[in-house]
Amino acid sequence: MGGLFGLVITSCLTIELLASQNTEPAYKLDPNAWWGPECTKYHNDTSIRPFEIVFHDKMIADLRYRLNNHRKPVPPLEGIGFEYGFNSNILDGWLRFWAEEYPFKEREIFLNKYPQYVTNIQGLDIHFIKYRQKAYAHQEIVPLLILHGWPGSVREFYETIPHLTSVNKSRDFAVEVIAPTLPGFGYSDAAVRPGLGMHEIAVVFSNLMKRLGYKKYYVQGGDWGAFIGSSIATSFPNEVLGYHTNLGLSLTQKALSLTLFGSLFPSPVVDPALADRTDLLSGHIRDAMITEFGYMHIQATKPDTLGIAMTDSPGGLLAYFLQLISTGTRSYFLNLEDGGIDKYYTRDQLLDNIMMYWAPKSITTSFRIYAESLNRRTLALGISEIPTPVPTITIHASDEIAYQSPLLLRTKFTNLLYTTNIDTGGHFLALEMPILFANDVLNAIAEFRNWHAKGGHGNGELLPNNNG
Amino acid sequence: MSKKTKNKSVNVNNLDKNEKSKTTKDSSKFKIVFGVFAKIISYLFVIKALFTIYCIYLVYVSLTNVPDLPKVDVNVRWGVDNNTHDTRIRPYRVIFSDAMESEIRALFEDYRLMERKIKSFKNTAWTYGVHSDAFAQFFSHWIFKYKFRERVKFLNKYDHFLTNIQGLDIHFVRVKPKADKNVKVVPLLLLHGWPGSVREFYEAIPLLTTPRPDYDFVFEVIAPSLPGFVFSEAPTRPGLDTYEMAIIMRNLMRRLGYTQYYIQGGDFGHMIGSHIATIFPSEVLGFHTNFPVNTSKLSLLTWLLGGLLWPSYFGNGIEDRMYPLKDKMEFYLEETGYSHLQSTKPDTIGIVLTDSPVALGSYILDRFMIFTNHTNKFEDEGGIDKYYDFDKLLDNIMLYWVSGSITTSLRIYKETFAGSRLNNLAQVPTSVPTWALRLKYELFQHPDYMLRWKYTNLLGSTNLDYGGHFAAFERPKDFSDDVFKAVKAFRNFK
Repeated sequence: MGGLFGLVITSCLTIELLASQNTEPAYKLDPNAWWGPECTKYHNDTSIRPFEIVFHDKMIADLRYRLNNHRKPVPPLEGIGFEYGFNSNILDGWLRFWAEEYPFKEREIFLNKYPQYVTNIQGLDIHFIKYRQKAYAHQEIVPLLILHGWPGSVREFYETIPHLTSVNKSRDFAVEVIAPTLPGFGYSDAAVRPGLGMHEIAVVFSNLMKRLGYKKYYVQGGDWGAFIGSSIATSFPNEVLGYHTNLGLSLTQKALSLTLFGSLFPSPVVDPALADRTDLLSGHIRDAMITEFGYMHIQATKPDTLGIAMTDSPGGLLAYFLQLISTGTRSYFLNLEDGGIDKYYTRDQLLDNIMMYWAPKSITTSFRIYAESLNRRTLALGISEIPTPVPTITIHASDEIAYQSPLLLRTKFTNLLYTTNIDTGGHFLALEMPILFANDVLNAIAEFRNWHAKGGHGNGELLPNNNG
Repeated sequence: MSKKTKNKSVNVNNLDKNEKSKTTKDSSKFKIVFGVFAKIISYLFVIKALFTIYCIYLVYVSLTNVPDLPKVDVNVRWGVDNNTHDTRIRPYRVIFSDAMESEIRALFEDYRLMERKIKSFKNTAWTYGVHSDAFAQFFSHWIFKYKFRERVKFLNKYDHFLTNIQGLDIHFVRVKPKADKNVKVVPLLLLHGWPGSVREFYEAIPLLTTPRPDYDFVFEVIAPSLPGFVFSEAPTRPGLDTYEMAIIMRNLMRRLGYTQYYIQGGDFGHMIGSHIATIFPSEVLGFHTNFPVNTSKLSLLTWLLGGLLWPSYFGNGIEDRMYPLKDKMEFYLEETGYSHLQSTKPDTIGIVLTDSPVALGSYILDRFMIFTNHTNKFEDEGGIDKYYDFDKLLDNIMLYWVSGSITTSLRIYKETFAGSRLNNLAQVPTSVPTWALRLKYELFQHPDYMLRWKYTNLLGSTNLDYGGHFAAFERPKDFSDDVFKAVKAFRNFK
């Protein structure tokens, strides 16, 4: 469905982009921006307080009441899977499961299995997991800042954390995972004034790591975590020892031009076998962007309208999230009546994640990351244009929502050490394939360490492609 | 996945097919290929020139080509039961039952007692959507001041009916004018859009059905609910786009005994009315629209190029409403999120809006205020106290709520904008006499010359210096005055 709508949207975005060409950034990042109430600014609490997730009985009772009394949805049209969105035929089953089978108390215990804390950064209480296993004497403990996105949470990492932090005698390092919750999400405070976009969040996390005593660290990110991680690597290159991402994207104008050029002439720009993952003009990618990005469009423009709506209906929240998780995992799930949701995840996993939004009532504020980041102010910071020399390693799953070839990635990540393409996997890679994910990150860290040991100078020369 | 075939005389892909490209040699390969390509092109100037002329010709033909009217099946069945051919016109009443009221009040309480309702940022007005403070006011009125029993009486002040067209029960309000022997009664089909309903016409209906001096005619009004909206049944299979709705509405009029009638439409009502006037021109005596747009490719291109080259010329009197292009683009980008979502995932957002009256209220309120006047975005109250009293707005929302029709109403977006027939009729002109009413803050506006490419007998237009998208709802008097004026012109046009 290119059509009129697609053409208008494309024209709008192009004109917007062209109109925002400034050589001087109109705005600058304030490293000391205060995001909490003004009155707390001068009582700066730097303590790191232990934190426990609690599912209060009152919250559970209210939730179950709403689930059990939800209004009957309209049935889907004949012959339709998920093409019109979440197929309401499966809604009752999901809501019944959530109300009657999801074991709230057990899940609460599970969610607290990793030590968690809260500390106040720039006025915001930031929630985070900090965890490592007992290492051998010869091993260096390396901190890994791992960043989730939307509609994710730290829950996405629960299955991969044991593998990430696993201690292997043959390695000279062991990982300490620091997994924070993005501001406005889960149990992290939300900003009380506008302006907290992805680059500002990068500052918050850099300060978080400083608070925890780390001068240098590795960063891993997917979804918003990828953009925030990229921003940290750009704004604080001396702090980041290496950046690993499962959503490698360069947002530079060079990359955009190369993408358009590559749509016409793929082979100089991208490996022909992967060309259809980047081809904007054939209709496949363009159509996918149009059909799948409605949520992004409305959250970037009317987060509070949608927030009021979503806060009042847990069933609605579930449908909204699971539709995204479905198509984000495999594009062919669009044609399945059950959305393929049960194929790669357990229901407990997905409901745990939804609870991280429902229980702390952070849905509305989580939407705002789109409004705060997809705007002219963020564009005008120009941070996405600036390349970073931080060594970078990427992994590309077959059904990830976007793909860029190494040529494009290097317009941003000048020391792209290598990329790995796998013929499986989706957007929520850590949750879907925790062991593969962990191994790729650990291999990346080993590679980063080698790179630094050899003097850490890159000339952009790409190591042979890893195709796994 | 199909690749578009390119009409280029040189295919770079074929050139380097024999060379295996390795990603490590990307940049040098790139330079070689580009260089060869550039060289060949520079030698082929003549071929290039001819090729360009040919492309321009193709574009011209594509933009001005008048396709044949597609074959129309006026008997397509949409219901579950394909055998019943019930032609009765059955009286209907809007009901706000006690059960419905208890349920909605319980849901109100759930929301009201919710801990930690998120507050919108201070001093941002409605730039993040509905502001929580404004919504609280609106919601409070809904709980404490909206009198269900009185409002349902009001909604039943006109006669409601259901009749089965092509398998779907279509709901409509029908109001006969006050009798006057000297005045001819003419039928007027009023077509609403989204997120509107027949409620939009309630204040205009008395004005349309009362004879007035200087006019020798008066209207009998037929205001249906679109299929899938309010009390009109929804289809059970995909495909019911505005084109099909036009057929249903035309068949509705025939069911009511009208072989010729006037049509008034805004929003989707404009599209449907326009289709009826195009497919059944001998049946439509005149078409009045308060959403005057031409959706053809030529119009879009003219609008874009006109904005870049010479706005005041191409704007032809309404350039302040069409340009500057950059502002308009920003506006559309910022305000079409809902349309993007509904055109792609109507059932998902439908689940949310069906489950919570607060959700439905917030979502619809947002569109009403911004479409009435987009500068409301910068008002703390969003203008909620300026244009409509809360009861009016809530009547409309309640019609969606009690009928449980929000999900099926959203599907019109997917069927239309994601369907394959969006612009099939855009380049087919109609000679049905047409009149355009432009209120100042209407979202899309095209000048007369552009409208005439489609509506060849555009008899005139009215530009008002106030008012927004919901013309009948916001300005019933101006609306009715203009409909009378237009139909007088239609009747004089022979």
